[in-house]
Amino acid sequence: MLSRVADNLYWMSRYIERADGMARMIQVHQSQALEYAQNDQQLEEFWQPVLQSICAESVHPAEQGFRKIGKTLLFSSSFANSIFSSISIARENARMVRDQLSEELWLELNNIYLFFHNGDADQLYKQGSDLLLDRITRFSLVFQGLADATIPHSEGWRFLSLGKYLERADQTSRMLDTLNLRTKEPTRADLMSVLRCCIALSAFRQQFRGNLSLKNVANFLLFSEDFPRSIRFCIRAIDHSLHAISGVPTGTFSNEAERLTGSTLAMVNFTDWNQVVAKGLHQTLDELQTTLIEIGQRVFETYVLLPSEIKSLGERSSAQLAQAQQQQ
Amino acid sequence: MRLYIFHRTTYSYPSAVTQSYNELRLHPLSNDWQKCISTTLSILPICRPQSYLDLNGNIVHFFELPEAHHRLLIEARSIVETISQVDFQNFPYGVNLSKLSKMEGIPECRDYLQTSTYVEINPEVWRMAVDIQDSSKDVFQTAYQVMEFIYQNFEYCKSTTTVDTHANEVLKIRRGVCQDFAHAALALCRCIGIPARYVSGYFYDSSRDQRMRGAEASHAWIEVMVGGHGWFGLDPTNNRVVDDTYVILGTGRDYRDVAPVTGSYYGPSPDGFEVTVRVKSTDD
Amino acid sequence: MSLPSQFQNYTTGHFFDEMFSGDQQLSARAHYQQIFQRFDRLTASEISDRRQQADSSFLEHGITFTVYGDEGGTERIFPFDLIPRVIPESEWSMVENGLRQRIIAINLFLNDIYHGRKIIKDGIIPEEIVNSSKNYRPEMIGFDPPQGVYAHICGTDLIRDDKGNYLVLEDNARCPSGASYLLENREIMKRAFPQTFGGMAVRPVEAYPDTLLKTLEYLSPRKSQKPVCVLLTPGVYNSAYFEHTFLARQMGIEIVEGKDLIAIDSCIYMRTTRGLVQVDVIYRRLDDDFLDPLMFRKESMLGVSGLMDAYLKGNVALANAVGTGVADDKVTYAYVPEMIKYYLNQDPILANVPTYLCWRDSDRAHVLQNLENLVVKAANESGGYGMLIGNQSTKEEREEFARLIEAHPREYIAQPIVSLSRHPTFCEEGIAGRHVDLRPFILYGEDVEIIPGGLTRVALKKGSLVVNSSQGGGSKDTWVLKDF
Repeated sequence: MLSRVADNLYWMSRYIERADGMARMIQVHQSQALEYAQNDQQLEEFWQPVLQSICAESVHPAEQGFRKIGKTLLFSSSFANSIFSSISIARENARMVRDQLSEELWLELNNIYLFFHNGDADQLYKQGSDLLLDRITRFSLVFQGLADATIPHSEGWRFLSLGKYLERADQTSRMLDTLNLRTKEPTRADLMSVLRCCIALSAFRQQFRGNLSLKNVANFLLFSEDFPRSIRFCIRAIDHSLHAISGVPTGTFSNEAERLTGSTLAMVNFTDWNQVVAKGLHQTLDELQTTLIEIGQRVFETYVLLPSEIKSLGERSSAQLAQAQQQQ
Repeated sequence: MRLYIFHRTTYSYPSAVTQSYNELRLHPLSNDWQKCISTTLSILPICRPQSYLDLNGNIVHFFELPEAHHRLLIEARSIVETISQVDFQNFPYGVNLSKLSKMEGIPECRDYLQTSTYVEINPEVWRMAVDIQDSSKDVFQTAYQVMEFIYQNFEYCKSTTTVDTHANEVLKIRRGVCQDFAHAALALCRCIGIPARYVSGYFYDSSRDQRMRGAEASHAWIEVMVGGHGWFGLDPTNNRVVDDTYVILGTGRDYRDVAPVTGSYYGPSPDGFEVTVRVKSTDD
Repeated sequence: MSLPSQFQNYTTGHFFDEMFSGDQQLSARAHYQQIFQRFDRLTASEISDRRQQADSSFLEHGITFTVYGDEGGTERIFPFDLIPRVIPESEWSMVENGLRQRIIAINLFLNDIYHGRKIIKDGIIPEEIVNSSKNYRPEMIGFDPPQGVYAHICGTDLIRDDKGNYLVLEDNARCPSGASYLLENREIMKRAFPQTFGGMAVRPVEAYPDTLLKTLEYLSPRKSQKPVCVLLTPGVYNSAYFEHTFLARQMGIEIVEGKDLIAIDSCIYMRTTRGLVQVDVIYRRLDDDFLDPLMFRKESMLGVSGLMDAYLKGNVALANAVGTGVADDKVTYAYVPEMIKYYLNQDPILANVPTYLCWRDSDRAHVLQNLENLVVKAANESGGYGMLIGNQSTKEEREEFARLIEAHPREYIAQPIVSLSRHPTFCEEGIAGRHVDLRPFILYGEDVEIIPGGLTRVALKKGSLVVNSSQGGGSKDTWVLKDF
């Protein structure tokens, strides 16, 4: 498959996952923010760490107040990670590889884009933001279902999953990180919010019987073996996709992306809570995020660039390139 | 039936050739059962062919290419409207074979009873022809038997014969392609006094599985004169009486008279030679 | 109670009407009978239902084009009209023969000007016309494209005059678009009017992508293996991008951008996740100018450095060949009837629109005196840009064009204003006559293949003669009927 096509599929999938995560994040936090609705100071204290975790502090200057933050995160065209931006970028990537997508998949994506583009989304938002946010999360689920059900599970599909799980791991780590960024000890409500953002509440309850604590929540989201949004699960999926693409057996590696993923997978497989505490949760998450960016960059170098181009780019500028893509 | 015919001939030469002179018989005739709506000839290197009618009434185009060239490409595209020249319910039976000498007296038959470049009248062929004739006294019936005999006893295979293979050789090895089958049939017919001429043309394979021979090539068959009824086409390659799926480019004593493309030039022999023929029905 | 006739207020004006004959008493032509009956009794809600279905189907499927000039390039759907244009087989076979004759002559001409130039030596076409053509490429002199064919994909625009005669308006021998609309229009019509469609023997158009692929594969320099063909697009912001993806998907070939290709040792490769793969044939939807920054426009970011070198060495084939734009030149166009006579020794089956060449002193004088009654066109523009329609222009516009003609006589031609035929079309005021043209698509690989019918374009604005999508035109499905 064309390198550019692989790249487009990867980013399309990432941005849809990003829009999905953002939608749930807004929904959960908006409802929690109702408690502070009367107090601007508290409202800001509540939102700041959330924005910080998704690198969006600058998007919403504090003086504007936080009552309209949801709308900004949904519609802003200047904020590259707003839901509308993400959907537009995903569609733009899809447009470049339409020949690789099933008609159904394209229709779904194009429809949600048109829905935003022609102002229908605005209308629905006025009727109630939850209606709109529900629609977006449902779109994402339908999209994933169609991707699994209507396109061949060959190379292109592997790049789709690669994008999806890299983005998902990143999102989960960021949501978890909001707990570190808060000045106070996380409250029960904070913990619930994080779990809700990761649609992990019922799965968590099954395992921990409502024993809600930072330790249990972090343990679950980092190390759960079978919850599809835990970091461990995601990294295992990335590892699987990478090896399916290269054809090299798991447990070995043929490129940097595989080596890094393999070693990260070993790390999450063989790390326990005590070690996390010893290093600090924030530090652990930070390192994880850096590694995820690095994996994305290595995938790009392995499958998209020619060997000569990697050398000419040099180490530093290639890291910048990855960074630039990440923040698109 | 409305047929579209595309016929391309390409010669490529290992080094430049000059002073090329060529004659083309690629323009379908118009007669009672076929009407040529249009023929478009194009030649590369660019040149502008002229035309004349030869002694057999065929349309001949000729052109000269004095300048050096490495490749000669000739394309002819024709649209022809055809009707069947025979009534399949009513073949022209009932005309008895006459003496050879009597037939030779008729001017329009005379040429088609003689030995020609690729066809020889000789005792061996005559003996074979008489065996095929058996007890038949009827012209059409006998010619039909000749066609059937060749179809049943000769093997259709490419590259065992060449453009210069003589009818005698074909009758001996009993193998060849449409040109050879036509020459063999001419020899057999002429020996027993049936005027027979060589036809160059195309045919459209309307069979569902495209099993006919010679459809994607320049094809050849024969026509025999049935006194009082005119010329009738018989295709020994496919064992068929010629109908509206056939398009006639020209007729003559044998291949020599109607070769689709002939020519001469100064230079080495071609190292590449390709012919493509497509016949399509525009009624589908 | 019978419904009111949809055509009760319909008039043909003084134009040739595709559906009706006679201007006082309307009578539907024989090949239009079924269509007439179907649409005459259509209820208002049926019409709006089907129109909505069609429009939303186009939008959802992303069947759009991009309009330049608007900020950021807006995506629009190409408006579609539900009433199909019908051409009887007897008429079509004449058109088909005329198009075949024309494309052969044009290809011989292209071959000639890049080789022996016999048509110039014989004094039929002046040398300076060829040499001064914007799209003439001296790089191509002496180069032999496969089977000597230059324009493999051609879209020739036809119009009909007030007598109903078919005339050639222009030849698009570079990168004609519209084939995807033709195919999609057919799909939509089949869904919107299954019974009407099924009840008439309409010649199918579905073979286009297969035939196009065969045409491309035929050009491959490597005969030993299955050719690797790609479609080279300028990218997602090009106005015809939808068409590019559509055709690539229908043919099952890769759609590539310049940056996906790389020239190594005079061969072209595409970058894939499995490494480099050699490319044999490029269906390029990119003008000559942008193909290779080493040879043509230096600043082009869309092309591939080294592509021309690989092409001229015969290691990769391009469709269309480089330098076919000479045939698009509207001054060259005026000479096509002479080409047909010169190369093929035949009379043209399809006539040209009479054309005044402004570089000829006598023609220019006539043009400048009669600007009000002429259409002036820039010789090397397409898409309805650079054009003056005399009777619909202002004095200032005419003065501006007079200046341009005086300054660049070679770059302008003029034609009488042809009253294009009209076709019943759904408009604000109900069904009314609108001017139409026809763009058939001609493929020339092993032999010439023409898709039955073509894209009928319709000028939706009342009285407008400009059918281009960028200028408010729409399209119709075109049915060639076997039985008529």
